[in-house]
Amino acid sequence: MVMKSVKNANRVHKKLCASVNYLQIDHRVKNIFQVEGVIILPSPKAWERYNWTRKYFEKKPKEGYFIWIKKQVNFPLFACVSISLKNITQELQNLLIIEKNLNIKLRGTCNALKKNLSGIHRAQGKIILKENSSLKYNHIHTWGEKDIVEPNYQFFLEKNSKLDYTYRTLFTPKKLKINTLFNLLKGASCNVKIVANCSQTETVMIKDVLILKEKGASGIIKLRLVGRKNSQILACSQIIAESESRGHLDCRGLLVDKKSKIALIPELLCKNKLAQITHEASLGKVSEEELNYLRMRGLTEKEAINLIINGFLEVKENKSSFPPSLS
Amino acid sequence: MLLEIKDLKVQERQPPASLPTEGGASGKEILKGINFKINSGETQALLGPNASGKSTLAQTILGNPKYKIVKGKIFFQGKEITKLPPEKRVKLGMALAFQSPPSIKGVKLFQLLEKISKNKSVDSRCQQRQQPLNEKLNIGANLLEREVNLDFSGGEKKMSELLQVISLDPELVIFDEIDSGLDLKRLEKVAKIIKKELIDKKISILLITHSGVILKFLKPKITNIMLEGKIICKEKDYRKVLRVIKRYGYEKCKKCKPST
Repeated sequence: MVMKSVKNANRVHKKLCASVNYLQIDHRVKNIFQVEGVIILPSPKAWERYNWTRKYFEKKPKEGYFIWIKKQVNFPLFACVSISLKNITQELQNLLIIEKNLNIKLRGTCNALKKNLSGIHRAQGKIILKENSSLKYNHIHTWGEKDIVEPNYQFFLEKNSKLDYTYRTLFTPKKLKINTLFNLLKGASCNVKIVANCSQTETVMIKDVLILKEKGASGIIKLRLVGRKNSQILACSQIIAESESRGHLDCRGLLVDKKSKIALIPELLCKNKLAQITHEASLGKVSEEELNYLRMRGLTEKEAINLIINGFLEVKENKSSFPPSLS
Repeated sequence: MLLEIKDLKVQERQPPASLPTEGGASGKEILKGINFKINSGETQALLGPNASGKSTLAQTILGNPKYKIVKGKIFFQGKEITKLPPEKRVKLGMALAFQSPPSIKGVKLFQLLEKISKNKSVDSRCQQRQQPLNEKLNIGANLLEREVNLDFSGGEKKMSELLQVISLDPELVIFDEIDSGLDLKRLEKVAKIIKKELIDKKISILLITHSGVILKFLKPKITNIMLEGKIICKEKDYRKVLRVIKRYGYEKCKKCKPST
Protein backbone atom coordinates (compact mmCIF):
# COMPACT_ATOMS: atom_id res chain seq x y z
CA MET A 1 0.00 0.00 0.00
CA VAL A 2 2.73 2.46 1.03
CA MET A 3 4.94 1.40 -1.90
CA LYS A 4 2.09 2.01 -4.28
CA SER A 5 1.40 5.36 -2.70
CA VAL A 6 5.02 6.50 -2.93
CA LYS A 7 5.11 5.49 -6.63
CA ASN A 8 1.93 7.40 -7.09
CA ALA A 9 3.37 10.40 -5.30
CA ASN A 10 6.41 10.27 -7.59
CA ARG A 11 4.22 10.31 -10.66
CA VAL A 12 2.14 13.17 -9.35
CA HIS A 13 5.31 14.94 -8.30
CA LYS A 14 6.83 14.78 -11.82
CA LYS A 15 3.63 16.05 -13.34
CA LEU A 16 3.34 18.93 -10.93
CA CYS A 17 6.96 20.00 -11.19
CA ALA A 18 6.27 21.26 -14.67
CA SER A 19 4.17 24.08 -13.24
CA VAL A 20 5.80 24.61 -9.87
CA ASN A 21 6.83 28.12 -8.77
CA TYR A 22 9.32 26.97 -6.17
CA LEU A 23 10.82 23.50 -6.22
CA GLN A 24 13.35 22.27 -3.71
CA ILE A 25 14.65 18.70 -3.58
CA ASP A 26 16.73 17.83 -0.53
CA HIS A 27 18.82 21.01 -0.02
CA ARG A 28 18.92 22.14 -3.64
CA VAL A 29 16.60 24.66 -5.22
CA LYS A 30 15.78 22.97 -8.52
CA ASN A 31 13.49 25.50 -10.05
CA ILE A 32 12.00 28.92 -9.48
CA PHE A 33 9.33 30.13 -11.83
CA GLN A 34 8.78 33.84 -11.33
CA VAL A 35 5.40 35.42 -11.85
CA GLU A 36 4.71 39.09 -12.50
CA GLY A 37 4.10 40.91 -9.25
CA VAL A 38 5.53 38.09 -7.14
CA ILE A 39 9.04 37.74 -5.80
CA ILE A 40 10.14 34.18 -5.21
CA LEU A 41 13.54 33.54 -3.71
CA PRO A 42 15.31 30.97 -1.57
CA SER A 43 15.01 32.24 2.01
CA PRO A 44 18.79 32.80 2.50
CA LYS A 45 18.78 35.18 -0.50
CA ALA A 46 15.73 37.04 0.84
CA TRP A 47 17.52 37.44 4.16
CA GLU A 48 20.45 39.04 2.33
CA ARG A 49 18.42 41.18 -0.07
CA TYR A 50 15.61 42.47 2.19
CA ASN A 51 16.61 43.57 5.65
CA TRP A 52 13.00 43.82 6.76
CA THR A 53 12.57 40.04 6.39
CA ARG A 54 14.85 39.57 9.39
CA LYS A 55 12.02 40.43 11.77
CA TYR A 56 10.12 37.42 10.42
CA PHE A 57 12.89 34.86 10.16
CA GLU A 58 13.83 33.68 13.62
CA LYS A 59 17.47 33.23 12.58
CA LYS A 60 19.44 33.36 9.35
CA PRO A 61 17.78 30.74 7.17
CA LYS A 62 19.77 27.90 5.61
CA GLU A 63 17.06 26.86 3.21
CA GLY A 64 13.38 27.31 2.41
CA TYR A 65 11.32 29.62 0.29
CA PHE A 66 10.41 33.29 0.38
CA ILE A 67 7.32 34.30 -1.57
CA TRP A 68 6.28 37.94 -1.56
CA ILE A 69 3.06 38.58 -3.44
CA LYS A 70 2.71 42.24 -4.35
CA LYS A 71 0.15 42.10 -7.15
CA GLN A 72 -2.97 40.09 -7.83
CA VAL A 73 -2.25 36.65 -9.33
CA ASN A 74 -5.24 34.94 -10.86
CA PHE A 75 -3.99 31.37 -10.82
CA PRO A 76 -2.78 29.18 -7.96
CA LEU A 77 0.87 29.45 -6.98
CA PHE A 78 2.66 26.24 -6.16
CA ALA A 79 5.55 25.51 -3.83
CA CYS A 80 7.01 22.03 -3.53
CA VAL A 81 9.66 20.66 -1.20
CA SER A 82 10.77 17.04 -1.46
CA ILE A 83 13.30 14.68 -0.03
CA SER A 84 14.98 12.13 -2.26
CA LEU A 85 18.14 11.12 -0.39
CA LYS A 86 18.48 8.77 2.53
CA ASN A 87 18.95 10.17 6.06
CA ILE A 88 18.70 13.76 4.90
CA THR A 89 17.65 16.50 7.33
CA GLN A 90 15.85 19.53 5.98
CA GLU A 91 15.67 22.66 8.16
CA LEU A 92 13.39 24.97 6.22
CA GLN A 93 12.42 28.51 7.00
CA ASN A 94 9.62 29.67 4.77
CA LEU A 95 8.09 33.10 4.56
CA LEU A 96 4.99 34.03 2.60
CA ILE A 97 3.73 37.58 2.51
CA ILE A 98 0.54 38.69 0.83
CA GLU A 99 0.09 42.40 0.37
CA LYS A 100 -3.14 44.34 0.97
CA ASN A 101 -6.35 43.61 -0.95
CA LEU A 102 -5.03 40.56 -2.84
CA ASN A 103 -6.88 37.26 -3.25
CA ILE A 104 -4.38 34.45 -3.58
CA LYS A 105 -4.47 30.70 -3.98
CA LEU A 106 -1.50 28.61 -2.99
CA ARG A 107 -0.72 24.95 -3.06
CA GLY A 108 2.13 23.65 -0.93
CA THR A 109 3.35 20.10 -1.24
CA CYS A 110 5.95 18.41 0.92
CA ASN A 111 6.81 14.80 0.26
CA ALA A 112 9.28 11.94 0.18
CA LEU A 113 10.11 10.64 -3.27
CA LYS A 114 10.99 7.17 -1.99
CA LYS A 115 9.58 4.88 0.61
CA ASN A 116 12.45 4.20 3.02
CA LEU A 117 14.48 7.39 3.13
CA SER A 118 14.44 7.86 6.89
CA GLY A 119 14.54 11.59 6.24
CA ILE A 120 13.83 14.45 8.59
CA HIS A 121 11.75 17.40 7.38
CA ARG A 122 11.53 20.36 9.72
CA ALA A 123 9.80 23.50 8.53
CA GLN A 124 9.35 26.83 10.25
CA GLY A 125 6.86 28.88 8.30
CA LYS A 126 5.38 32.33 8.65
CA ILE A 127 2.47 33.46 6.57
CA ILE A 128 1.48 37.12 6.71
CA LEU A 129 -1.86 38.21 5.32
CA LYS A 130 -2.03 41.97 5.13
CA GLU A 131 -5.19 44.07 5.43
CA ASN A 132 -8.17 42.88 3.35
CA SER A 133 -6.20 40.12 1.67
CA SER A 134 -7.31 36.53 1.39
CA LEU A 135 -5.50 33.24 1.00
CA LYS A 136 -6.74 29.82 0.07
CA TYR A 137 -3.92 27.50 1.02
CA ASN A 138 -3.96 23.79 0.29
CA HIS A 139 -1.08 22.13 2.12
CA ILE A 140 -0.48 18.47 1.29
CA HIS A 141 1.99 16.05 2.85
CA THR A 142 2.90 12.57 1.59
CA TRP A 143 5.65 10.70 3.43
CA GLY A 144 7.42 7.40 3.64
CA GLU A 145 6.98 5.20 6.66
CA LYS A 146 10.40 5.95 8.21
CA ASP A 147 10.47 9.74 7.94
CA ILE A 148 10.21 12.26 10.75
CA VAL A 149 8.23 15.39 9.96
CA GLU A 150 7.86 18.52 12.07
CA PRO A 151 6.07 21.47 10.44
CA ASN A 152 5.68 24.55 12.56
CA TYR A 153 3.60 27.25 10.90
CA GLN A 154 2.41 30.61 12.12
CA PHE A 155 -0.28 32.60 10.37
CA PHE A 156 -0.70 36.29 11.05
CA LEU A 157 -3.98 37.69 9.78
CA GLU A 158 -4.17 41.46 9.71
CA LYS A 159 -7.35 43.54 9.66
CA ASN A 160 -10.22 41.98 7.67
CA SER A 161 -8.05 39.37 6.03
CA LYS A 162 -9.34 35.87 5.32
CA LEU A 163 -7.66 32.49 5.42
CA ASP A 164 -8.94 29.16 4.15
CA TYR A 165 -6.28 26.64 5.13
CA THR A 166 -6.37 22.89 4.60
CA TYR A 167 -3.55 20.71 5.82
CA ARG A 168 -3.88 17.14 4.62
CA THR A 169 -1.44 14.36 5.25
CA LEU A 170 -2.28 11.48 2.96
CA PHE A 171 0.48 9.12 4.05
CA THR A 172 1.90 9.76 7.45
CA PRO A 173 5.54 9.36 8.43
CA LYS A 174 6.93 7.44 11.39
CA LYS A 175 6.71 10.55 13.56
CA LEU A 176 4.66 13.64 12.87
CA LYS A 177 4.65 16.74 15.01
CA ILE A 178 2.54 19.63 13.76
CA ASN A 179 2.41 23.01 15.45
CA THR A 180 0.20 25.67 13.97
CA LEU A 181 -0.67 29.10 15.27
CA PHE A 182 -3.30 31.46 13.90
CA ASN A 183 -3.21 35.02 15.11
CA LEU A 184 -6.23 37.09 14.05
CA LEU A 185 -6.54 40.86 14.22
CA LYS A 186 -9.67 43.01 13.81
CA GLY A 187 -12.33 41.47 11.59
CA ALA A 188 -10.02 38.73 10.32
CA SER A 189 -11.41 35.25 9.78
CA CYS A 190 -10.03 31.79 9.21
CA ASN A 191 -11.40 28.40 8.28
CA VAL A 192 -8.88 25.70 9.10
CA LYS A 193 -9.01 22.00 8.30
CA ILE A 194 -6.40 19.57 9.55
CA VAL A 195 -6.86 16.11 8.10
CA ALA A 196 -4.59 13.19 8.93
CA ASN A 197 -5.02 9.60 7.84
CA CYS A 198 -2.51 7.99 10.19
CA SER A 199 -1.29 4.51 9.49
CA GLN A 200 1.61 2.82 11.27
CA THR A 201 2.52 6.16 12.76
CA GLU A 202 4.47 5.82 15.99
CA THR A 203 3.70 9.32 17.18
CA VAL A 204 1.39 12.00 15.88
CA MET A 205 1.32 15.19 17.92
CA ILE A 206 -0.88 17.99 16.68
CA LYS A 207 -1.03 21.29 18.44
CA ASP A 208 -3.03 24.12 16.97
CA VAL A 209 -3.79 27.43 18.60
CA LEU A 210 -6.22 30.05 17.37
CA ILE A 211 -5.82 33.47 18.96
CA LEU A 212 -8.75 35.81 18.43
CA LYS A 213 -6.85 38.93 19.28
CA GLU A 214 -9.07 41.77 18.18
CA LYS A 215 -12.73 42.63 17.86
CA GLY A 216 -14.72 40.87 15.15
CA ALA A 217 -12.17 38.12 14.58
CA SER A 218 -13.65 34.70 13.90
CA GLY A 219 -12.26 31.27 13.22
CA ILE A 220 -13.10 27.60 12.94
CA ILE A 221 -10.70 24.71 13.31
CA LYS A 222 -11.78 21.28 12.11
CA LEU A 223 -9.74 18.23 12.91
CA ARG A 224 -10.33 14.89 11.20
CA LEU A 225 -8.03 12.13 12.40
CA VAL A 226 -7.98 8.46 11.53
CA GLY A 227 -5.91 6.03 13.56
CA ARG A 228 -5.06 2.73 11.94
CA LYS A 229 -2.35 0.11 12.17
CA ASN A 230 -1.10 0.91 15.64
CA SER A 231 -1.02 4.70 15.30
CA GLN A 232 -0.71 6.81 18.42
CA ILE A 233 -2.27 10.26 18.08
CA LEU A 234 -2.45 13.20 20.44
CA ALA A 235 -4.20 16.34 19.25
CA CYS A 236 -4.52 19.50 21.32
CA SER A 237 -6.56 22.33 19.86
CA GLN A 238 -6.93 25.62 21.61
CA ILE A 239 -8.88 28.81 21.06
CA ILE A 240 -7.92 31.92 22.99
CA ALA A 241 -10.45 34.73 22.75
CA GLU A 242 -8.93 38.03 23.81
CA SER A 243 -11.65 40.26 22.40
CA GLU A 244 -15.27 40.32 21.26
CA SER A 245 -14.95 37.50 18.75
CA ARG A 246 -16.21 34.03 17.95
CA GLY A 247 -14.51 30.72 17.44
CA HIS A 248 -15.33 27.06 17.15
CA LEU A 249 -13.41 23.80 17.42
CA ASP A 250 -14.69 20.67 15.71
CA CYS A 251 -12.45 17.71 16.54
CA ARG A 252 -13.27 14.20 15.35
CA GLY A 253 -11.37 10.97 15.45
CA LEU A 254 -12.00 7.55 13.98
CA LEU A 255 -10.25 4.49 15.34
CA VAL A 256 -9.94 1.66 12.89
CA ASP A 257 -7.91 -0.96 14.74
CA LYS A 258 -7.62 -2.14 18.32
CA LYS A 259 -4.02 -1.06 18.84
CA SER A 260 -4.35 2.55 17.73
CA LYS A 261 -4.98 5.33 20.19
CA ILE A 262 -6.34 8.84 19.75
CA ALA A 263 -6.47 11.55 22.38
CA LEU A 264 -8.38 14.72 21.50
CA ILE A 265 -7.97 17.68 23.82
CA PRO A 266 -10.01 20.73 22.86
CA GLU A 267 -9.36 23.76 25.04
CA LEU A 268 -11.14 27.08 25.21
CA LEU A 269 -9.72 30.09 26.93
CA CYS A 270 -11.90 33.19 27.10
CA LYS A 271 -10.55 36.54 28.20
CA ASN A 272 -13.43 38.69 27.05
CA LYS A 273 -17.01 38.43 28.26
CA LEU A 274 -18.38 39.30 24.82
CA ALA A 275 -16.53 36.50 23.06
CA GLN A 276 -18.34 33.34 22.04
CA ILE A 277 -16.26 30.23 21.69
CA THR A 278 -17.46 26.65 21.49
CA HIS A 279 -16.15 23.20 20.82
CA GLU A 280 -17.33 19.73 19.89
CA ALA A 281 -15.27 16.57 19.97
CA SER A 282 -16.03 12.96 19.21
CA LEU A 283 -14.10 9.74 18.90
CA GLY A 284 -15.47 6.49 17.63
CA LYS A 285 -15.03 3.38 15.62
CA VAL A 286 -16.34 2.49 12.17
CA SER A 287 -20.10 2.01 12.42
CA GLU A 288 -21.13 -1.64 12.09
CA GLU A 289 -24.37 -0.58 10.45
CA GLU A 290 -22.59 1.39 7.74
CA LEU A 291 -20.01 -1.35 7.28
CA ASN A 292 -22.63 -4.07 6.85
CA TYR A 293 -24.67 -1.87 4.52
CA LEU A 294 -21.70 -1.39 2.20
CA ARG A 295 -20.82 -5.09 2.36
CA MET A 296 -24.38 -5.82 1.29
CA ARG A 297 -23.62 -3.59 -1.70
CA GLY A 298 -20.82 -5.95 -2.69
CA LEU A 299 -17.82 -4.19 -1.14
CA THR A 300 -15.35 -6.28 0.84
CA GLU A 301 -14.84 -5.35 4.47
CA LYS A 302 -11.58 -3.59 3.59
CA GLU A 303 -13.12 -1.67 0.69
CA ALA A 304 -16.05 -0.66 2.87
CA ILE A 305 -13.77 0.59 5.69
CA ASN A 306 -11.69 2.57 3.21
CA LEU A 307 -14.79 4.18 1.75
CA ILE A 308 -16.08 5.11 5.21
CA ILE A 309 -12.67 6.56 6.14
CA ASN A 310 -12.46 8.56 2.92
CA GLY A 311 -15.91 9.92 3.64
CA PHE A 312 -14.93 10.76 7.21
CA LEU A 313 -11.83 12.63 6.04
CA GLU A 314 -13.75 14.56 3.44
CA VAL A 315 -14.36 17.95 5.00
CA LYS A 316 -17.06 19.92 3.32
CA GLU A 317 -16.04 23.07 1.53
CA ASN A 318 -17.95 26.32 1.55
CA LYS A 319 -20.14 25.41 4.46
CA SER A 320 -20.35 27.51 7.55
CA SER A 321 -19.72 25.18 10.42
CA PHE A 322 -20.36 27.48 13.29
CA PRO A 323 -22.97 25.92 15.54
CA PRO A 324 -26.39 27.58 15.17
CA SER A 325 -25.85 29.64 18.32
CA LEU A 326 -22.83 31.32 16.72
CA SER A 327 -24.03 31.52 13.14
CA MET B 1 -34.72 -23.02 -8.11
CA LEU B 2 -32.97 -19.71 -7.51
CA LEU B 3 -33.25 -19.40 -3.74
CA GLU B 4 -34.14 -22.07 -1.24
CA ILE B 5 -34.27 -21.73 2.53
CA LYS B 6 -34.59 -24.80 4.72
CA ASP B 7 -35.68 -24.74 8.35
CA LEU B 8 -33.93 -21.45 9.09
CA LYS B 9 -33.62 -20.39 12.71
CA VAL B 10 -31.96 -17.08 13.48
CA GLN B 11 -30.98 -15.12 16.55
CA GLU B 12 -29.80 -11.52 16.77
CA ARG B 13 -26.25 -10.92 17.93
CA GLN B 14 -25.86 -8.30 20.63
CA PRO B 15 -23.16 -5.66 20.44
CA PRO B 16 -19.94 -7.13 21.94
CA ALA B 17 -19.86 -4.56 24.77
CA SER B 18 -23.05 -5.87 26.31
CA LEU B 19 -22.27 -9.52 25.86
CA PRO B 20 -21.04 -11.96 28.44
CA THR B 21 -19.09 -13.65 25.64
CA GLU B 22 -18.04 -11.71 22.57
CA GLY B 23 -19.72 -12.54 19.28
CA GLY B 24 -22.46 -14.62 20.82
CA ALA B 25 -26.16 -14.30 20.22
CA SER B 26 -28.67 -12.62 22.47
CA GLY B 27 -30.59 -15.87 22.75
CA LYS B 28 -33.79 -14.38 21.40
CA GLU B 29 -34.92 -16.38 18.43
CA ILE B 30 -36.37 -14.17 15.70
CA LEU B 31 -36.82 -16.64 12.86
CA LYS B 32 -38.25 -19.96 14.01
CA GLY B 33 -37.86 -22.39 11.19
CA ILE B 34 -38.37 -20.67 7.84
CA ASN B 35 -38.90 -22.70 4.67
CA PHE B 36 -39.01 -20.69 1.50
CA LYS B 37 -38.37 -21.10 -2.24
CA ILE B 38 -38.30 -18.72 -5.16
CA ASN B 39 -37.73 -19.60 -8.80
CA SER B 40 -35.87 -17.62 -11.45
CA GLY B 41 -37.98 -14.81 -12.85
CA GLU B 42 -40.63 -15.23 -10.17
CA THR B 43 -42.15 -12.45 -8.08
CA GLN B 44 -43.27 -13.27 -4.57
CA ALA B 45 -44.47 -11.20 -1.66
CA LEU B 46 -43.90 -11.51 2.06
CA LEU B 47 -46.45 -9.86 4.27
CA GLY B 48 -46.59 -9.62 8.02
CA PRO B 49 -47.20 -7.30 10.93
CA ASN B 50 -44.48 -5.27 12.60
CA ALA B 51 -41.75 -7.30 14.31
CA SER B 52 -42.80 -10.55 12.67
CA GLY B 53 -39.25 -11.12 11.35
CA LYS B 54 -39.58 -9.99 7.70
CA SER B 55 -36.59 -7.64 7.71
CA THR B 56 -34.52 -10.14 9.69
CA LEU B 57 -35.21 -12.72 7.00
CA ALA B 58 -34.12 -10.28 4.28
CA GLN B 59 -30.96 -9.32 6.16
CA THR B 60 -30.14 -12.97 6.89
CA ILE B 61 -30.56 -13.95 3.24
CA LEU B 62 -28.01 -11.25 2.34
CA GLY B 63 -25.68 -12.40 5.13
CA ASN B 64 -25.74 -9.47 7.58
CA PRO B 65 -23.32 -10.55 10.35
CA LYS B 66 -25.67 -8.96 12.86
CA TYR B 67 -27.78 -12.10 12.68
CA LYS B 68 -26.65 -15.55 13.72
CA ILE B 69 -28.00 -18.62 11.99
CA VAL B 70 -28.47 -21.27 14.65
CA LYS B 71 -30.10 -23.84 12.39
CA GLY B 72 -31.00 -24.38 8.77
CA LYS B 73 -29.47 -23.72 5.38
CA ILE B 74 -29.72 -21.21 2.54
CA PHE B 75 -29.10 -22.21 -1.09
CA PHE B 76 -28.69 -19.82 -4.03
CA GLN B 77 -28.49 -21.18 -7.57
CA GLY B 78 -28.04 -24.63 -6.05
CA LYS B 79 -25.01 -23.57 -3.99
CA GLU B 80 -25.09 -23.45 -0.20
CA ILE B 81 -24.42 -19.89 0.94
CA THR B 82 -25.33 -20.17 4.63
CA LYS B 83 -21.84 -19.14 5.75
CA LEU B 84 -20.92 -16.92 2.82
CA PRO B 85 -20.06 -13.26 3.65
CA PRO B 86 -22.50 -10.63 2.31
CA GLU B 87 -20.20 -9.28 -0.42
CA LYS B 88 -19.88 -12.75 -1.97
CA ARG B 89 -23.65 -13.20 -1.94
CA VAL B 90 -23.96 -9.89 -3.80
CA LYS B 91 -21.40 -11.09 -6.34
CA LEU B 92 -23.55 -14.18 -6.90
CA GLY B 93 -26.48 -11.94 -7.80
CA MET B 94 -28.41 -11.10 -4.64
CA ALA B 95 -29.44 -7.56 -3.76
CA LEU B 96 -31.43 -5.95 -0.98
CA ALA B 97 -33.14 -2.57 -1.00
CA PHE B 98 -33.12 -1.47 2.63
CA GLN B 99 -36.13 -0.19 4.50
CA SER B 100 -34.03 2.26 6.54
CA PRO B 101 -30.58 2.57 5.00
CA PRO B 102 -27.86 4.25 7.07
CA SER B 103 -26.20 7.44 5.88
CA ILE B 104 -22.56 7.35 4.81
CA LYS B 105 -21.10 10.75 5.59
CA GLY B 106 -18.70 12.27 3.11
CA VAL B 107 -19.49 9.71 0.40
CA LYS B 108 -21.56 10.98 -2.48
CA LEU B 109 -24.22 8.80 -4.02
CA PHE B 110 -22.55 8.80 -7.45
CA GLN B 111 -19.28 7.68 -5.81
CA LEU B 112 -21.01 4.72 -4.20
CA LEU B 113 -22.74 3.87 -7.47
CA GLU B 114 -19.40 3.90 -9.26
CA LYS B 115 -17.98 1.56 -6.64
CA ILE B 116 -20.78 -0.95 -6.66
CA SER B 117 -21.78 -0.94 -10.29
CA LYS B 118 -20.76 -4.08 -12.11
CA ASN B 119 -19.60 -1.94 -14.98
CA LYS B 120 -17.30 0.08 -12.81
CA SER B 121 -14.24 -0.81 -14.87
CA VAL B 122 -15.33 1.75 -17.39
CA ASP B 123 -16.44 4.86 -15.56
CA SER B 124 -17.78 6.73 -18.54
CA ARG B 125 -19.78 3.74 -19.71
CA CYS B 126 -21.03 3.32 -16.17
CA GLN B 127 -22.20 6.91 -16.07
CA GLN B 128 -23.78 6.63 -19.48
CA ARG B 129 -25.61 3.57 -18.30
CA GLN B 130 -26.79 5.23 -15.13
CA GLN B 131 -27.81 8.50 -16.65
CA PRO B 132 -31.00 7.31 -18.33
CA LEU B 133 -31.89 5.34 -15.22
CA ASN B 134 -31.57 8.46 -13.08
CA GLU B 135 -33.93 10.22 -15.41
CA LYS B 136 -36.42 7.36 -15.31
CA LEU B 137 -36.29 7.42 -11.53
CA ASN B 138 -36.59 11.19 -11.56
CA ILE B 139 -33.31 11.39 -9.68
CA GLY B 140 -31.58 14.60 -10.60
CA ALA B 141 -27.84 15.18 -10.58
CA ASN B 142 -28.45 17.03 -7.34
CA LEU B 143 -29.24 13.82 -5.42
CA LEU B 144 -26.26 12.00 -6.93
CA GLU B 145 -24.03 14.79 -5.65
CA ARG B 146 -25.36 14.48 -2.11
CA GLU B 147 -23.90 12.30 0.63
CA VAL B 148 -25.45 8.82 0.68
CA ASN B 149 -28.79 8.92 2.52
CA LEU B 150 -27.79 11.97 4.55
CA ASP B 151 -30.88 14.14 5.03
CA PHE B 152 -32.64 12.25 2.21
CA SER B 153 -36.43 12.34 2.39
CA GLY B 154 -38.26 9.02 2.64
CA GLY B 155 -38.95 9.06 -1.09
CA GLU B 156 -35.35 9.95 -1.96
CA LYS B 157 -34.09 7.03 0.11
CA LYS B 158 -36.34 4.62 -1.77
CA MET B 159 -35.20 6.00 -5.12
CA SER B 160 -31.58 5.78 -4.06
CA GLU B 161 -32.01 2.17 -2.95
CA LEU B 162 -33.74 1.29 -6.19
CA LEU B 163 -30.98 2.87 -8.23
CA GLN B 164 -28.35 1.01 -6.23
CA VAL B 165 -29.90 -2.44 -6.52
CA ILE B 166 -30.45 -2.03 -10.25
CA SER B 167 -26.80 -0.97 -10.60
CA LEU B 168 -25.76 -4.28 -9.03
CA ASP B 169 -27.21 -6.14 -12.03
CA PRO B 170 -28.80 -8.76 -9.76
CA GLU B 171 -30.58 -12.10 -10.24
CA LEU B 172 -32.69 -11.67 -7.13
CA VAL B 173 -33.82 -8.46 -5.48
CA ILE B 174 -35.44 -8.24 -2.07
CA PHE B 175 -37.34 -5.02 -1.52
CA ASP B 176 -37.84 -4.33 2.16
CA GLU B 177 -40.86 -2.04 2.50
CA ILE B 178 -40.20 -0.21 -0.74
CA ASP B 179 -43.79 1.04 -0.59
CA SER B 180 -43.62 2.66 2.83
CA GLY B 181 -43.40 6.44 2.90
CA LEU B 182 -44.29 6.88 -0.77
CA ASP B 183 -47.34 8.66 -2.06
CA LEU B 184 -49.53 6.75 -4.49
CA LYS B 185 -48.23 8.50 -7.59
CA ARG B 186 -44.60 7.88 -6.73
CA LEU B 187 -45.39 4.32 -5.64
CA GLU B 188 -46.92 3.64 -9.06
CA LYS B 189 -43.81 5.04 -10.68
CA VAL B 190 -41.50 2.89 -8.53
CA ALA B 191 -43.61 -0.16 -9.34
CA LYS B 192 -43.37 0.59 -13.07
CA ILE B 193 -39.60 0.86 -12.84
CA ILE B 194 -39.34 -2.41 -10.91
CA LYS B 195 -41.49 -4.08 -13.54
CA LYS B 196 -39.61 -2.68 -16.51
CA GLU B 197 -36.06 -2.89 -15.17
CA LEU B 198 -36.33 -6.14 -13.23
CA ILE B 199 -39.47 -8.23 -13.62
CA ASP B 200 -39.63 -7.94 -17.42
CA LYS B 201 -35.96 -8.95 -17.50
CA LYS B 202 -36.79 -12.14 -15.58
CA ILE B 203 -35.16 -11.00 -12.35
CA SER B 204 -36.65 -12.65 -9.29
CA ILE B 205 -38.28 -10.33 -6.78
CA LEU B 206 -39.26 -10.75 -3.16
CA LEU B 207 -41.47 -7.89 -2.03
CA ILE B 208 -41.53 -7.45 1.71
CA THR B 209 -44.39 -5.24 2.67
CA HIS B 210 -46.39 -4.29 5.69
CA SER B 211 -49.29 -2.63 3.93
CA GLY B 212 -49.33 -4.64 0.72
CA VAL B 213 -50.15 -1.55 -1.36
CA ILE B 214 -47.50 -2.31 -3.96
CA LEU B 215 -48.86 -5.81 -4.68
CA LYS B 216 -51.66 -4.61 -6.94
CA PHE B 217 -49.05 -3.05 -9.22
CA LEU B 218 -46.66 -5.99 -9.34
CA LYS B 219 -49.02 -8.96 -8.92
CA PRO B 220 -46.86 -11.52 -7.12
CA LYS B 221 -47.24 -15.17 -8.03
CA ILE B 222 -47.18 -16.24 -4.40
CA THR B 223 -47.91 -14.22 -1.29
CA ASN B 224 -46.36 -15.46 1.94
CA ILE B 225 -47.60 -14.45 5.35
CA MET B 226 -45.18 -14.22 8.24
CA LEU B 227 -46.19 -14.20 11.86
CA GLU B 228 -43.92 -14.45 14.90
CA GLY B 229 -40.91 -15.66 12.95
CA LYS B 230 -42.71 -18.26 10.85
CA ILE B 231 -44.19 -18.30 7.37
CA ILE B 232 -47.65 -19.50 8.20
CA CYS B 233 -49.36 -19.14 4.87
CA LYS B 234 -48.60 -19.18 1.14
CA GLU B 235 -51.36 -17.99 -1.12
CA LYS B 236 -51.52 -17.64 -4.91
CA ASP B 237 -54.17 -14.94 -4.90
CA TYR B 238 -52.66 -11.81 -3.38
CA ARG B 239 -56.03 -10.03 -3.63
CA LYS B 240 -57.55 -12.59 -1.30
CA VAL B 241 -54.74 -12.04 1.21
CA LEU B 242 -55.15 -8.28 1.08
CA ARG B 243 -58.93 -8.60 1.53
CA VAL B 244 -58.56 -10.84 4.56
CA ILE B 245 -55.92 -8.68 6.17
CA LYS B 246 -57.90 -5.54 5.56
CA ARG B 247 -61.03 -7.04 7.05
CA TYR B 248 -59.70 -9.19 9.90
CA GLY B 249 -56.03 -8.31 10.38
CA TYR B 250 -53.13 -10.76 10.44
CA GLU B 251 -54.59 -12.85 13.28
CA LYS B 252 -57.08 -14.33 10.85
CA CYS B 253 -54.17 -15.73 8.81
CA LYS B 254 -53.27 -18.08 11.63
CA LYS B 255 -56.47 -19.96 10.98
CA CYS B 256 -56.19 -19.89 7.22
CA LYS B 257 -55.01 -23.02 5.43
CA PRO B 258 -52.39 -22.59 2.68
CA SER B 259 -53.71 -23.03 -0.84
CA THR B 260 -50.35 -23.76 -2.51
